[in-house]
Amino acid sequence: MKQPTVIEDLEVTPVAKPGSPSVAPHHKPRRLSASSILLSPAAKAVTGLALMLAIWESIVRIFDMPRYLLVGPLEAFAELAERPMFYLEHSWITIQEALAGFALGAALGIICGAILFYIPFIRHFLYPTLIAIDTIPKVALAPLFIVWFGFGFESKAFVSMAIAFFPLVINTFDGLSSVPSELRELAKINKASRFMQMTKIEFIYALPNLFTGMKISISMAVGGAVVGEFIAGSSGLGHVVLLANSQVNLASMFAAFMVLASISLLLFLFIDRLGKKLLPWRDAGK
Amino acid sequence: MSSSAVIEVKDVGMTYKTRDGRSHTALEGCNFDVAPGEFVSVVGQSGSGKSTLLRIISGLINNTSGEVLLKGKNVAHSLRELAMVFQAPVLLPWRNNLDNVLLPMEFRKAVTPQVRAYAKELLEIAGLGDQATKYSYELSGGMQQRVAICRALVSRPDILLMDEPFGALDAMTRDTMNFELQRIWHETRQSVLFVTHSIPEAIWLADRVIVVGDRPGRIVADIKIDIPRLRTREHRFSEDFTAYERQIEALIGTPGAIS
Ligand SMILES: Nc1ncnc2c1ncn2[C@@H]1O[C@H](COP(=O)(O)OP(=O)(O)O)[C@@H](O)[C@H]1O
Ligand SMILES: [Mg+2]
Repeated sequence: MKQPTVIEDLEVTPVAKPGSPSVAPHHKPRRLSASSILLSPAAKAVTGLALMLAIWESIVRIFDMPRYLLVGPLEAFAELAERPMFYLEHSWITIQEALAGFALGAALGIICGAILFYIPFIRHFLYPTLIAIDTIPKVALAPLFIVWFGFGFESKAFVSMAIAFFPLVINTFDGLSSVPSELRELAKINKASRFMQMTKIEFIYALPNLFTGMKISISMAVGGAVVGEFIAGSSGLGHVVLLANSQVNLASMFAAFMVLASISLLLFLFIDRLGKKLLPWRDAGK
Repeated sequence: MSSSAVIEVKDVGMTYKTRDGRSHTALEGCNFDVAPGEFVSVVGQSGSGKSTLLRIISGLINNTSGEVLLKGKNVAHSLRELAMVFQAPVLLPWRNNLDNVLLPMEFRKAVTPQVRAYAKELLEIAGLGDQATKYSYELSGGMQQRVAICRALVSRPDILLMDEPFGALDAMTRDTMNFELQRIWHETRQSVLFVTHSIPEAIWLADRVIVVGDRPGRIVADIKIDIPRLRTREHRFSEDFTAYERQIEALIGTPGAIS
């Protein structure tokens, strides 16, 4: 006797109840991938980085790259491990220049953005000019700053400042502009002073944009300091890169790149976290 | 008209100068007044000048003809003891609900323990007593708008101006809000000027409905609504109500409007 075949993979479609929408939702069990269960976003980022370093190292080994063209990350790490104090000292100099430039550029940028917003007369005369100036590559200003401020710390901090400045002008201005007109009207109807309107509404409203600007500025400020060191200087990571270049020491050059990238990333993450901590309402509220 | 009116609008007109130099008459020859404690709706099509009227009364913009008296004084010179509720709640996301309600009093440098107590009482009346320390993003749209109404009432204004305050809410929430507003108004007894483009909403809430026609904006009717308070859902479908509805529809010229 023939056994009735059992259909194992029978798909059970839920029967629509009378009166319910005719298209019943069709639930498939969602396949949970290993990556979504096991890895936090940070772990995923680190995995991605490790993968890229692995590919880099493999390319160097498989193609047997000559050491004056490309070295692998392992060699760069070895270089770092060999002379940690050397890299630390130069990093510290670059960090100081970048932070000084960032602080100055950000402060000036915020003040300028606010002035442009609050004084229409100045805005009409200066905003177009400022945007035109912003198109000048700040790198091109470095030689000028050296003429003005010499070969020391100041000229690099000023290059860094020039780069960090503009993102904050624009983001401050945008932030202040994003205040809903109803809030200004509310202030007006309640006879709020100009100062109260600024401090209780507008400045706070602009803070998320300020943090966006600072995140852009901070890594650009590090780049600015390095460019300054390229052009004049006997210290800092920019100097290390040039030195390694002249000695055809690619391990040292890549070591400097890695340190630079880490510095930028850490500073960026610091500002990002600070913004999340200080402005918990940002994502939910605006 | 009566000198005890809180708002007197006398022959008010408004002609905007547009950017290209032409002029656009948004309002012409408007006359009406609002008595103390009265709830007056203003209904009309979009673009008929309702917001313009409210902004003139609030002193945010200046009318180009006629005059507005608030408690007998010209708007420009009066201490404008009025408050406004907008279509969007525009609460400050970094302040909790109680602090949002207190904002107008902070502007006036007048936050006292009594004011704080009153702000809490208003939240109670609005059914948000347990939400005082919550933030606006934790509330539904309807609850946020109720906080905005409390914020408007906290300065004990003589006049509450509301510009399509429930326009952004879904129909069901909107019904609930109408009940809430009637209840709140019944307790606080402010004069209210309530702008809407929903005819049933205008009738259900108001002692009087002012109908604004457009091109240019002008007052085409001022209709007393004789339906007893407090009103319920039954009133919405009563014969009287439907008659008012038909009358206003005919005046505005939107036959077939559903809500
Ligand atoms: N600032 C302004 N400048 C020029 N025209 C305006 C301005 N504000 C409103 N209007 C015009 O006035 C008319 C009435 O607008 P409004 O009062 O907003 O109408 P409603 O609130 O009834 O929709 C519209 O035609 C609008 O385009
Ligand atoms: Mg309007």
